[in-house]
Amino acid sequence: MRPSPTPRLAGAIATLFLAAFLAVPLAVILARSLAPSAGEPFGAGFLAALTDPYYLGRLGFTLGQALLSTALTVVVGLPTALLLARYRFRGKRVLTAAFTVPFVMPTVVAGIGFLALVGPRGVLGVDLRNTLAIVLLAHVFYNFAVVARTVSGFLEGVAPRLEAAAATLGATPWRVVARVTLPLALPATFASALLVFLFCFTSFGVVLILAPAPAFATLEVEIYRLTARLLALDAAAALALVQLILMVAVGFIYTRLQERLAVSVVPGDATRAPRGSAHLLLGGTLLVTSALVLAPLLALSVQSFGSPGSPWPTARNYLGLLTQSHTVGFTDLWHALRNSLGFAFSSAALALVVGFLFAYAIARGGWRWLDQASLLPLATSPITLAFGYLLAYPALVGSVWGVPLAHALLAFPFVTRTLLPAYRAQPPALAAAASTLGAGQLRVLLRVELPLLRPAFLTAAAFAFAVSMGEFGATLLLVRPEFATLPVAIFDRLGRPGASNYGEALALGVVLMALTAAVMLVLQRRGRSEF
Amino acid sequence: MNLRLTGLAKRYGAVTAVDRVTLELVAGTTLALLGPSGCGKSTLLRLVAGLEAPDAGGVAIGDQDLTRTPTARRGFGMVFQDFALFPHLDVGANAAFGLVEARVPAATRAARVRELLALVGLAGLERRKVTELSGGQQQRVALARALAPEPRLLLLDEPLSNLDASLRESLKLELRSILTGLPAGAIYVTHDQGEAFTVADTVALMRAGRIVQVGTSEELLAKPAGPWAARFLGHDNVYDTAPQGAHLPVSDGALLLRADLTRLGEPGTGATDVSVATAAREGLAWRLTLTAEAWGVTVTWRGFDRELPGHPAPGASFGLQVPPEAWRSIGSDA
Repeated sequence: MRPSPTPRLAGAIATLFLAAFLAVPLAVILARSLAPSAGEPFGAGFLAALTDPYYLGRLGFTLGQALLSTALTVVVGLPTALLLARYRFRGKRVLTAAFTVPFVMPTVVAGIGFLALVGPRGVLGVDLRNTLAIVLLAHVFYNFAVVARTVSGFLEGVAPRLEAAAATLGATPWRVVARVTLPLALPATFASALLVFLFCFTSFGVVLILAPAPAFATLEVEIYRLTARLLALDAAAALALVQLILMVAVGFIYTRLQERLAVSVVPGDATRAPRGSAHLLLGGTLLVTSALVLAPLLALSVQSFGSPGSPWPTARNYLGLLTQSHTVGFTDLWHALRNSLGFAFSSAALALVVGFLFAYAIARGGWRWLDQASLLPLATSPITLAFGYLLAYPALVGSVWGVPLAHALLAFPFVTRTLLPAYRAQPPALAAAASTLGAGQLRVLLRVELPLLRPAFLTAAAFAFAVSMGEFGATLLLVRPEFATLPVAIFDRLGRPGASNYGEALALGVVLMALTAAVMLVLQRRGRSEF
Repeated sequence: MNLRLTGLAKRYGAVTAVDRVTLELVAGTTLALLGPSGCGKSTLLRLVAGLEAPDAGGVAIGDQDLTRTPTARRGFGMVFQDFALFPHLDVGANAAFGLVEARVPAATRAARVRELLALVGLAGLERRKVTELSGGQQQRVALARALAPEPRLLLLDEPLSNLDASLRESLKLELRSILTGLPAGAIYVTHDQGEAFTVADTVALMRAGRIVQVGTSEELLAKPAGPWAARFLGHDNVYDTAPQGAHLPVSDGALLLRADLTRLGEPGTGATDVSVATAAREGLAWRLTLTAEAWGVTVTWRGFDRELPGHPAPGASFGLQVPPEAWRSIGSDA
């Protein structure tokens, strides 16, 4: 395709945004970690941090817990994926949607949900706080849907027909699983495992809330501590660089794998109803996974209506949120809501504009590198990004613009990924027809392409909104106390002792959960994105 | 041994996909299941393969009942509409898939795969990825894979429908010669009469889950069982009631006029006069729509210039000469 002025301009603005709010902050981190300071040679600070046994230990722990979490997530997610891809049954749509709930829940909600379940005041009476177990559990809870949905979505279109073919060639059910289903599922499983690894490797909110002891700090948590508490910016920069290199490497493999997966998928549903003993297998597996997925959220909801010493449900925690606004340093419900919604609206609007510019430039300009570049924010952790803003644009941090800019940067890849397939699905003949009728490129965009993209825009907006509302790490570093969002307000309360603070944190968690669920309902009713 | 289907039925909710089908396939012959899309022919094939469980009825070969036998143990080969090649295996491994399940030793396996790939015209492509093949080549691999374990029955589900027209024409004849060489019987599902008549010895016409008629292509074309069958098989001139004033020797239910048995002459020389409503070239032949005013019907007529008494300009008048055997009473639809 011949790039013409309009896509060029869109591409230029998009690139400029990415350069200013991603490349420059990362470059400043790079410079800070490598630049010689006070007569030392180039890269000395970086090497010193790398050889420091404490930081090496943090790196080791981060990698180890991420690998363990990933392995566990695959072990739990894969059987569910195989069953979902093979069988159709009543309530499958609802169940699949329910499995996705944890993944879209803000990390803070997941964290506080597990506290409500197995924390010091948890409903189960077992205190797992500050153990590796609770971190792994939360990671499985959080990422289980990534494996289950990616793999089942991939297999659904392919496996049933190929399994039927294998059966006509004499393969018994277990042989079919071994020779057809598992080999087919392997690439998708590996791809989703990489994604899960990325999420667990940069885990922040879950770890900070469930295992705040220094022994459980991931690199992301360590960077936050060094920056916000110790002001050891050189060490933070070195760690951020290490993390960034690993993430970009894993992200690169992931996108390569995605491309290969996209080729072999055949659309269509050929699932069948379970017969005989398959009922038992299906029911048992789904029961276990549903319990794992729903228990923390259920515990959170139930406990938010409890109060110490009373067996009856009360609204005390919620009422406390409304009245206790005089407590020093706490944001009350209304202000937290106002801040969260305000940031979510402004960053969603910004993310829609930037995300669209990327989608338009990629679809109509045909630049492949721009397609890759639009994924870069996903390979950058929120803490690293916010840290980069602190170093590169100190002025931004004091203003109200730091948070929406960071959120928009983190959210626009989702917008682009949602708009692109819709854009590509538009028959090229439509634009051609409009131009034969006298519409210039901009008029074609306004009168044909944009109206057709409307459903995709709504989905994208909901995505961006949800990302901003749930975002925790970057907000924590960038926000001024008076602009604290719901996640930050929850974290503040968890950091103080006392049953009433804990109760209020639970209530705020339920509010955030309900808001996210409402946004997700919009998403669920609309189409899917490219993820 | 013959394949016998007795009273096979399958419902999906309120829809009856297959409605008490009883059918016999003579060993070594090919039966085409012909019908419009959605008539249940593919479901019937999946019932035979054991990929679906019937609500009623049975599948048997000789006196061996297979109704409860799992697909893997039936020994039926199947070629799927979208070929269903395993993307994680190469051409050779796809073809050898069933041989591995049958525990055929590796050396024999390789020889058999070579032999089959040669049979379908893909000799030497063992190591090729299946995703790199053209549609026609994929179809050939699917056929070789199904034939490799020497199935006692071969099932083909619209095997040519995903290919383009010219390829379909040549593969049709090739399939015919491969299927006639097989000791096993074959069931060939298609919605295309041409394909059914070319490939199969016997054709079973299917509509709304039921078998409407079974016979050779000649039998079906000469005596279609009702107006629906006649129209579906390609007859143009089917009348639900006898045209008025045609003085017909037969008259009950629908009538079929075999236009290929009629002649056109000068006006006044035939059973009735007709005028040309439309005239279209189909290559060297003409396709005429003729209005028989006295009968109150139109007749579609095909023929060459030498069979016409004059140029068939619209409005031109001819006499339609109809021998008695051109009219056929075909009853009504069940």
